[in-house]
Amino acid sequence: MRFFTGNPDNRPQRPEERHPDAYAQREPYLASQELVTAVNLAIFLKRPLLLEGEAGCGKTCLAAAIAYELGYPLYRWNIRSKTRYQEGLYEYDALLRLHDVNLVQKLDGSVVEGDRALDPTDVDKYVEFNALGKSFLQKDYPAVVLIDEIDKADLDFPNDLLTVLEKPYQFMVREKRETITAEHPPIVIITSNKEKGNLPAPFLRRCVYHFVEFPSKPEQLQKIAAAHFQFHEADQEIANQEATGQETPFATAPPMELVETAIERFLAVREQKGLTKLPGTSEFLDWLRALSHFGDEPYSADALKAHTGPLPYRELLFKLRGDWRNAGFTATS
Amino acid sequence: MISESFDWDDINEEVLVDKAFELLRKRGFQLGMDEYLAGLTLIAERDTLPFVQDLDGLKQSLKLLWCSSQSEQEQFEPIWDKAVAAAESAAQVVIEVDESAPAPLPDIDMPLPERNTPEQVRSETVAEKASSPAVDATAQPVRAPFTPAEIDRPSDLQSYWPVSRRSMSYSWRYLRRTVAEGPADVVDVGATVQQTAQQGFYFQPVMQQSRFNRAQLLLFIDQNGSMMPLHQFTREIVETAQYESNLPEGQVTVCYFQNVPADYVYQDAFLKEPMKLKTVLEACDADTSVLIVSDGGAGRGYRRLDRIRETTNFLRKLRQVTQRFAWLNPVPVGRWQGSSAEMLAKLVLMFQMDDDGLSNAIDVVRGLQVQRG
Repeated sequence: MRFFTGNPDNRPQRPEERHPDAYAQREPYLASQELVTAVNLAIFLKRPLLLEGEAGCGKTCLAAAIAYELGYPLYRWNIRSKTRYQEGLYEYDALLRLHDVNLVQKLDGSVVEGDRALDPTDVDKYVEFNALGKSFLQKDYPAVVLIDEIDKADLDFPNDLLTVLEKPYQFMVREKRETITAEHPPIVIITSNKEKGNLPAPFLRRCVYHFVEFPSKPEQLQKIAAAHFQFHEADQEIANQEATGQETPFATAPPMELVETAIERFLAVREQKGLTKLPGTSEFLDWLRALSHFGDEPYSADALKAHTGPLPYRELLFKLRGDWRNAGFTATS
Repeated sequence: MISESFDWDDINEEVLVDKAFELLRKRGFQLGMDEYLAGLTLIAERDTLPFVQDLDGLKQSLKLLWCSSQSEQEQFEPIWDKAVAAAESAAQVVIEVDESAPAPLPDIDMPLPERNTPEQVRSETVAEKASSPAVDATAQPVRAPFTPAEIDRPSDLQSYWPVSRRSMSYSWRYLRRTVAEGPADVVDVGATVQQTAQQGFYFQPVMQQSRFNRAQLLLFIDQNGSMMPLHQFTREIVETAQYESNLPEGQVTVCYFQNVPADYVYQDAFLKEPMKLKTVLEACDADTSVLIVSDGGAGRGYRRLDRIRETTNFLRKLRQVTQRFAWLNPVPVGRWQGSSAEMLAKLVLMFQMDDDGLSNAIDVVRGLQVQRG
């Protein structure tokens, strides 16, 4: 059993110790000691980890950080209001199969349509496994499954999900008359915003629960900023080796002074009374990126410190009309 | 903090987990046997777990495992300290009594949760625990325990909160009367495949009619006066019925009144737009579900004959139209006694507005239980 440490450098070095489809994008993530424990508890007890917290505080990124460090694949399942739990396991395309049956009859034996071979007798061709289903099929290593924004779903959804995420970790593919049992139960990370009220009690009882706090100390924000810059510098090197890198406008670190001033101004914004939606970590990083790289020159730290009136690039911080109006003009440090 | 003054070795961890679990359950935490066993597993396997190396690690792990909201996490600390103290004194007692005997097995017989009673003051020793009187189950009145909804926002603390918004929207789901109507315009994929398989060739898709929820809901909401402190509730009832139930728009009608629905009721919560009660009732048929939300005088605890008479009058008119009606009383049943609500409860099925009451009321208005009288 591998445990999470919060340090991406602990990723297994040799490729044979990793899953072939292991998540390859290095994810800078500053996990608190308590969060690391929460993740390890979830791994050890094979229970889902439920993360709650303000929007933009790094709930979603955690799953990627875990998958990267442990060398496991990551399957992401975004929940919408109409999502049913069955969709997370597999989908069976009855219509396509029906279509193929007819086509094979009409074509008199020829069984190729375009570049797709038609074989309606083979049910496997019409069953497609989705995020949670795939994670049950893993042979050598468990997978990390991210069930994002579970509170968006229908009221019954969490309860339905429990039947699968409990011992004996199996589900039935009815069309194939086959029961799939997970050799390695997946590491399940569930995020919720409590947008539509609480989750049902039996579901909560099963989960390991952690509330992700916004890093409200300047040192924490500095560390987060540093982690992201370091990562992107390191990413350039890795990109050459593994060719996973993408164009990023974040390659060089902004001057230290600018980071400090930005943190100061940002925290002052958060402390203001009357904001409906407080900007989170992701807004902070976007803002910092804009300050340092959007213009030809990085924004001057002195200018930012002495700035009066609306903050520069406030488009990135305030997402509601009321907040935009109130905070945009009065924010002073 | 107490936990810092003890060594890990001084305490029997199993007793500690046991004690903490018991105290948390008593406090109303939703924990089951699985959670208890998971806690014991942590101790059994602690040599292999980097995060359960000391007492603080165990505390943090159990907190993550057993608490499922921020407010529960806040309650955890003092309970844990209590459990540590109890486990510590238990360890001492064992040593004093008989040093050669092996440590007793942890007591896994959980006492029944006593949520509704204030926590008893008891000194935390093993001897005391053993002599505590057994609860005589037959003498207890049978009633669902009061489970307050989880409160996260401190402003919520100011009010009494017996039913959460989630359970309201959930309960409305059961209010349904599905009817297949209109042209057959939905492809039944399963039946089509079935037919094709039976015939051996594909002929045409099997179509079926769409199904609609045709349940009609009529809400009578008491506003102002003694209902003033309960407005948050009635607002949530209306909102969940209108927007979070499965009922399409137009099938939920809301009427407001003050104290008693008289000849005129109101379309808005501010009692500004009157409409005739007669018109409202004429729009109903025998399948219309009617819910009355009012304290029936129990809020202030008075009993007035004229109010009872007028309400009876209203109920009589209602009964002529539909049998599917029930009364939801946001004031707990213990306070009905002696007020008009007690009298009215004899005339109409009246339920206290908690999770059970709400779902019972919905059973009545969808015709599962028969109205008396």
